[in-house]
Amino acid sequence: MTRSESVVKEIIIDVDNINKTYPGPIPALVNFTTRVNKGDVLVVIGPSGSGKSTFLRCLNGLEEIDSGTIIIDSIPLDDNEKHRLEIRREVGMVFQSFNLFPHMTVLENINLAQRLVRKKNRQQATRTTMDLLDKVGLAEKAESYPAALSGGQQQRVAIARALAMKPKVMLFDEATSALDPEMIGEVLEVMNLLANEGMTMVVVTHEMGFAREVSDWIIFMEAGRIVEQDRSGNFFSNAKKERTRRFLSQII
Amino acid sequence: MNLRKKIMLNSPVIDGIKFIMLAMFCGWLIYRGSGRIGYNWQWYQVPRYLFTFDNNIFTPGPLLEGLWVTLKITACSLVLATVFGLLTALLRLSGSLVGRVLARVYLEVIRNTPLLVQIFFLYFVLAPIFELERFAAAVIALSLFEGAYASEIIRAGIVSIHRGQWEAAHSLGLSSFDTYRTVVLPQALQRILPSLTGQAVSLIKDSALVSTIAVYDLTMQGRTIIAETFLTFEIWFTVAAIYLIITLVLSLIVNVLEKRSPGGVQFT
Repeated sequence: MTRSESVVKEIIIDVDNINKTYPGPIPALVNFTTRVNKGDVLVVIGPSGSGKSTFLRCLNGLEEIDSGTIIIDSIPLDDNEKHRLEIRREVGMVFQSFNLFPHMTVLENINLAQRLVRKKNRQQATRTTMDLLDKVGLAEKAESYPAALSGGQQQRVAIARALAMKPKVMLFDEATSALDPEMIGEVLEVMNLLANEGMTMVVVTHEMGFAREVSDWIIFMEAGRIVEQDRSGNFFSNAKKERTRRFLSQII
Repeated sequence: MNLRKKIMLNSPVIDGIKFIMLAMFCGWLIYRGSGRIGYNWQWYQVPRYLFTFDNNIFTPGPLLEGLWVTLKITACSLVLATVFGLLTALLRLSGSLVGRVLARVYLEVIRNTPLLVQIFFLYFVLAPIFELERFAAAVIALSLFEGAYASEIIRAGIVSIHRGQWEAAHSLGLSSFDTYRTVVLPQALQRILPSLTGQAVSLIKDSALVSTIAVYDLTMQGRTIIAETFLTFEIWFTVAAIYLIITLVLSLIVNVLEKRSPGGVQFT
């Protein structure tokens, strides 16, 4: 994990002391603070219901925070609707359930936001789309509808769709959890490729092998709190907290 | 009863025979009944009220003229009802309390008063105030009425779209307007097309009520012809058949449309 150490660190995601509660007794996020440098991969792990996804969804405003601040690429995520839209333009998100638009072809899925948000014309958008489809290995599926694709293929299209906005940060919310085992590899491969290209990524995953391989930083959380946050190497070889070690021993 | 007999009795041929027998029985009842009251059938009179064909010139009769008015009213009301329905559905789903209350009041008033009263209210009360013509009053009354029902269908369609679709669109930076226009409504429309067609069929049928404010639609023309000629049975049969043909054709068109588009209707 030497990739980002030699370059000058620039904080691109700055999360300071955020709190969030859902209706109910268990808080979703408690005094959550973290920073992500440009080009780094942060992997968030923890048991189910620990608030991993909630944290991710707060980062692009899909969930509202109760207190604290989130600043992404110097834009504060606040009540200002303009800021929220700006951040969403710079932050791509990939979902567990793919969420492709079923009434559009793969090409139209990826062109849509380029045309409406980036205001590209059809030709420019299509060129970008075909490049991205090449990258995820699905160029021949451009005219297919999502229903005709396998889960792994759909997720790769979803990644291409997010990348088409040329985001500065990519969020992955359990991107492989809904996939059949034999399709997980193809999606992780694309994510690996992105990490190696220097994309800033925040990844919620249960794939520990993958987490270990690509992450620069790891957050282990439970019940909405950060239990341990460390450089990836230290974390896996030398976890400080007893709870972290127990969790790691259970899943590895 | 053995299996073979069962199959025989349920075969399409037997069904067909049953249907024909039933139809013949109904026909016989009407024929006998009309004979008993001394009704004089004059079907040969009917065609000239549909159209005439003199010297190779086609002239629509009063019934076809009435049909044209019915179609115009229906088409205008359909467009307007869709607009009312969509706006009301969006208001009900909006974050604005005032919007939601307004939409709710509109729905309750329209759904809990008779259409006939609404037509009279518009024509006798509002039309003089706003200087509306008969035709405009008829269209507005029908669209307000059908719009209320359409809005409930549209709202159900929008709510049925999975939350993930919204989230995907929002996380791509699409505005709410673009999300509705390109992602949610095309999918919702696909799902509700059958119910909306049902609503359009109701609209065609309900449009007959505007004959009460002397709009010369199909029904009004029928009444006028009957008043002049006493061809009561023939004309009402004909009028009913024309309505039936229009609504069946409409259902057929929508069926074809539905089969064509995969997963949604494209607006672009």
